[in-house]
Amino acid sequence: MIDRQSILDVLRTIPDPEMPISIVDLGLIESVEVAAAGDSSVVRIVALPTFVGCPALEMIRRDIEHRLGAMPGIGAVEVQWVHDPPWSVDRISAAGRESLRVHGVTVPDRGGPPAAFGSANVGLTIGGAVPCPFCGSMRTRQESPFGPTRCRMIYYCDACRNSFEHLKRV
Amino acid sequence: MVDLPEHLRKPFVNLLLAAADDKLFLGHRNSEWTGLGPILEEDIAFSSLAQDEMAHATALFEVASSLDGRSADQLAFGRRPEEYRCAAIVEVPDEFDWATAMGRRLFCNHFDVLRLARFAQSAYKPLADLARRLAAEQQVHLRHVNDWIVRLGTGTPESHRRIQQAIEALARIAPSLFEPVEQQDDLVAAGLYPGSDGQMYDAWRGAVEHLLGRAQVTARLEPPDPGDRGGRRGTHTVHLAPMLDEMCEVFRLEPDAAW
Repeated sequence: MIDRQSILDVLRTIPDPEMPISIVDLGLIESVEVAAAGDSSVVRIVALPTFVGCPALEMIRRDIEHRLGAMPGIGAVEVQWVHDPPWSVDRISAAGRESLRVHGVTVPDRGGPPAAFGSANVGLTIGGAVPCPFCGSMRTRQESPFGPTRCRMIYYCDACRNSFEHLKRV
Repeated sequence: MVDLPEHLRKPFVNLLLAAADDKLFLGHRNSEWTGLGPILEEDIAFSSLAQDEMAHATALFEVASSLDGRSADQLAFGRRPEEYRCAAIVEVPDEFDWATAMGRRLFCNHFDVLRLARFAQSAYKPLADLARRLAAEQQVHLRHVNDWIVRLGTGTPESHRRIQQAIEALARIAPSLFEPVEQQDDLVAAGLYPGSDGQMYDAWRGAVEHLLGRAQVTARLEPPDPGDRGGRRGTHTVHLAPMLDEMCEVFRLEPDAAW
């Protein structure tokens, strides 16, 4: 029977369709289960969506099915999306953070406060200062709490005059 | 597995549809601003907000679909107007008035976080798990709209006048959000929609009035009249049917098409 590690190694080569990071480093993979079925193995991947109904989910599912299905010894691949436990930016690995930073996307600090929940939050800004991924300056500001995808916000660095993106903490 | 008493299946589906329908139509109304936002950032914002609401509606339609048998697409686009359960406030057009678009979101977003917080405590686990995620995403909407209401209310005399006017007009239909669905008391008693009693209205009104106070805007909010029969029980404004016709134009060409 095929081992979990070689499955994870293949998953690690599958990039997120919208960002330069593997789906493993992004923290999408919750569990990998392998069961024997005759001569081959049945693989069940439990994965967590970053944002509910993210349009990339179907592409990721197809990528996983295609790549794992091509491995010798694997008969069937099942991908299940679940909301429990919830995905969070804290699931992004150190390597993943660095890969995103190089491409101008920053990630909220690990262990920061969770999004306020269930009460009317009347704050006027989202998050605090974010260091620039290019020059490290803290002279940055939020340009827009919305961006090219639902999970990203647009920031601008007044020091090096580059714009960059910051992931939303949900 | 999932514990849902058979006699509560239909009212529970209606509760899910009320939430999904609110999001479907609010999302559609928001999407109408794509390409027309007053500034680039708000064009992006409203397109993104619309995407969020549509994604949330889809997820809620999927939960409803697992109990109802009809597909999520059929639930979204294949019902007759009287089968929808949205509140009047998401039906009215904003006539591309920025203050009306923002004012509507103020009332709806504050209601939505309170409803999602209660869904997150639901005895029906698939809904509770989903609602926790939706609530976290919804916080961004809330902060965005709060920020704008204060900016408009305390900006120029013209921005103040226009947001004041929009809030006054919307305040008359905003309590429509609180009309209960059929058998809502039974759903509350069964733990499927816990805490959705008078306290929820008080919490909503308190949060909205607090924010409006900061924006120096006033509004008269009256509790919903229990005798009023509105969208939650299938009685809609004249605006729903034309909006549905527009949204369903493609779907109706080939209702069983795979997308």
